[in-house]
Amino acid sequence: MTRAATPKLGAYAALAGAGLLAALVLGRPELAALAAPFATLLVVGLSLAETPRLSAVLELETERQVQGEPVEVELELRSETPVSRLELLLDLPEGLVAETPNPQLLRLHAGERRELQHVIRCERWGAHLVGELVLRAHDPFGLLFFEQTLDLRQPLKVYPRGEALQKLLRPLETQAFAGNQLPRTHGEGIEFADLRPFVPGDRVRRVNWRATARRGEPWVNETHPERNADVVIFLDTFAEARRRGESTLDFAVHAAATLAVHYMREKDRVGLVAFGGVLNWLTASSGIGQLYRVLDSLLDAEIFLSYAWKGVDLLPVRTLPPQSLVLALTPLLDERSVRALLDLRARGFDLAVIEISPVPFSPPGEQELDDLAHRLWLLRRDALRSRYLRQGVPVVEWREGAPLQAALEEVRTFRRHARVTRA
Amino acid sequence: MVAAGIALSPLIRHSDDQALLLLLGGGGVLALCVGLAARWGAALAFGVGLLGAEQAVWLARGPEALDPWTPLYAGAFLLVAELAWWSLEQRVPAWTERGLALRRFVTVLLACAGGCVMAALVVIAAGLPIHGGFGLELAGVLAATGALGVIAAVARTHVR
Repeated sequence: MTRAATPKLGAYAALAGAGLLAALVLGRPELAALAAPFATLLVVGLSLAETPRLSAVLELETERQVQGEPVEVELELRSETPVSRLELLLDLPEGLVAETPNPQLLRLHAGERRELQHVIRCERWGAHLVGELVLRAHDPFGLLFFEQTLDLRQPLKVYPRGEALQKLLRPLETQAFAGNQLPRTHGEGIEFADLRPFVPGDRVRRVNWRATARRGEPWVNETHPERNADVVIFLDTFAEARRRGESTLDFAVHAAATLAVHYMREKDRVGLVAFGGVLNWLTASSGIGQLYRVLDSLLDAEIFLSYAWKGVDLLPVRTLPPQSLVLALTPLLDERSVRALLDLRARGFDLAVIEISPVPFSPPGEQELDDLAHRLWLLRRDALRSRYLRQGVPVVEWREGAPLQAALEEVRTFRRHARVTRA
Repeated sequence: MVAAGIALSPLIRHSDDQALLLLLGGGGVLALCVGLAARWGAALAFGVGLLGAEQAVWLARGPEALDPWTPLYAGAFLLVAELAWWSLEQRVPAWTERGLALRRFVTVLLACAGGCVMAALVVIAAGLPIHGGFGLELAGVLAATGALGVIAAVARTHVR
């Protein structure tokens, strides 16, 4: 525990010294009497000051929480010495806010054990370390203070709060495993697809008796099989636009978490590619374990500045399964990610780009030239979008405050009119 | 308010140097106000020092006899200083210990009462019928130096 003097100690010593000196110079004992309380307080205060011996145990209510929800922190403080005034600060990382008073002031007796409860609100998603405790004790007269930092940090994962989606984007192709997606092909299943004339080999239970009676010959029902799909969430982590503690990456992570949760609920296999200064990927898989892997990987998503030119060639082959739906979440700010996405389209992937619009993060300047530059930048972005559209890639702009469902519906509308062309 | 009382008291008790006393007292109160407003510890020390200087001037120009109110002044000086430094401290919500502020206030009052007693002892000692001279003067110098030495020694052992 480090010990230091407060400014009060120096001031009192100076006042006592000045009083005693003035008493000698002026020959008035009353001035020594005026200085006496200050001198006495210094001697008594410093003699009584004792270095506190404190220990603490910290426990988090949970290791995982959803953004916006509170987490209780239980703190047990033990003191071997009496502490007349103890300031206790739970130093929280950015993104966590204490709902209970922090710092707190308390008094501890010798050998006392005190249990305190803090409630912290998870304001931002991320993997945080909670539990850096700063203790500052004062002697009874406030002449000295003792400081100590206890490292009781424990991990707290705050997952982004997803939003409800009514309908997901259907992939153009499905995979061989059972799921909730309906492919365009016909096969064994329960979803009605079409009617066709009976051919030898058809099972009798497939006969549609109403159609058979109307047409005078046996007709059978055709069904769609239930299949799953491979969905790869492509997160652009090359660059972001940031403003007042929130960024395009925040929105991208929110969207990625929402999509991962919903697609996995539909029994689809979900993979993740964080494409940026640091490459991070998860091969597509399904199940609750994979969901947590995806969410944990999203918590690690950060913007790393890098000048290295990177393409999709760097990604392992299994990361992008054939016939998978690639959902790109990008602010379209970095040429490398723009090129990588076009490359994916050229390789025949079913690609949809959800543009996390950086425009609200960079308002036009007040000068005429700034405004002109801003308009030129917007025009360039429009040109970039046209480039994607010419390649048959739907690009939708998703802005702060708008539901993600709206962006998905826009992609669906585009895909309804556009068809994939294969060379 | 206590500081203003200290500043005004020499003026009320008649003196020839009203302007000087008013200047020192007013300056002291002003420095205290500035220190509190700007949260500046040095201004507080300066303010208390100016109030002390006002007392010193009043005593130097005043009657030869010992001032019987000195212990009360001493306690008031300490009260002013303690309250001023308390005001300067960072506000910490003391919700876990509701009686902490009251306890501290009582401690301050007790410290001031103790200061009054110490000052009274000094005044009584000064009033003892001992004839002055070079020896007594030397003893006074040594006592003052010793007192400062004790403070410095205690501070040295307790402050890193």
